Amino acid sequence: MIPLGYFTFLSAFLFCVGIYGALTRRNVIGILISIELILNAANINLVAFNKYLGSPDGMGQVFSLFVIAIAAAASVVGLVLIIAIYRDRKALFTDGFTLMKE
Amino acid sequence: MNEAVFYFITICTCVFALLAVTQRDIFHCALWLAMTLLSVSGIYFYLDAAFLGVVQILVYVGGIITLFVFAIKLTAHIGVKSIRQTSKQWAISAFITLILLSILFRVFAKNPWANIQLEHKSTSVVQIGQSLMANYALPFEFMSVILLAAMVGAIVIGKVNK
Repeated sequence: MIPLGYFTFLSAFLFCVGIYGALTRRNVIGILISIELILNAANINLVAFNKYLGSPDGMGQVFSLFVIAIAAAASVVGLVLIIAIYRDRKALFTDGFTLMKE
Repeated sequence: MNEAVFYFITICTCVFALLAVTQRDIFHCALWLAMTLLSVSGIYFYLDAAFLGVVQILVYVGGIITLFVFAIKLTAHIGVKSIRQTSKQWAISAFITLILLSILFRVFAKNPWANIQLEHKSTSVVQIGQSLMANYALPFEFMSVILLAAMVGAIVIGKVNK
């Protein structure tokens, strides 16, 4: 039987990979991909704690369902924003998003 | 046997996630992200959360990855080799991330619950449905409002203004 700590290690690693990607990518779609990784790291924790600590009403799984739904909504809006900005300014890299500075 | 499966899925997840953030071609990144999400759903199956694993495959790999691929293909020329994909501060970002990772690992290793091994009965789909309709009815309704708002917002933002 795997101890609970291993799942938290895995999720911490995924989280840090996501943070690294979000910090270094110039491409906005790459940043969105990293954010999906971060959300999945949180989900792993929720499900693992639900399994190991037990919960009468399955709280961890219900909340990770909510997280998945929010992630879907967030990535839809994010991708539409990216396409709108691309149509307007032909920019896809974070350096090109200077609308607020003008 | 059981533990070997866990280690296999974990190594797959970590390697795929690293590839998803470091690959040059953004289309390859999206495909590696799909593999990462599939491995995470494998972890859900391992944890007896079969319903969540299925939802993960349906919503993420079936829906979100498709959206990513569409967005990448609609904004075509960015995969060109000559364009730099990472910012100039990648070294300092890696340094900060490593510090964060070591802090997290140290905290998790010291915690008293790190070695918990007792298992509880797995949550059944019936139980999830009942708590969605009873204890968590309000967040569930809010979720539908958020999805509606995202849908309307996506249509409004994506519309071409003439």
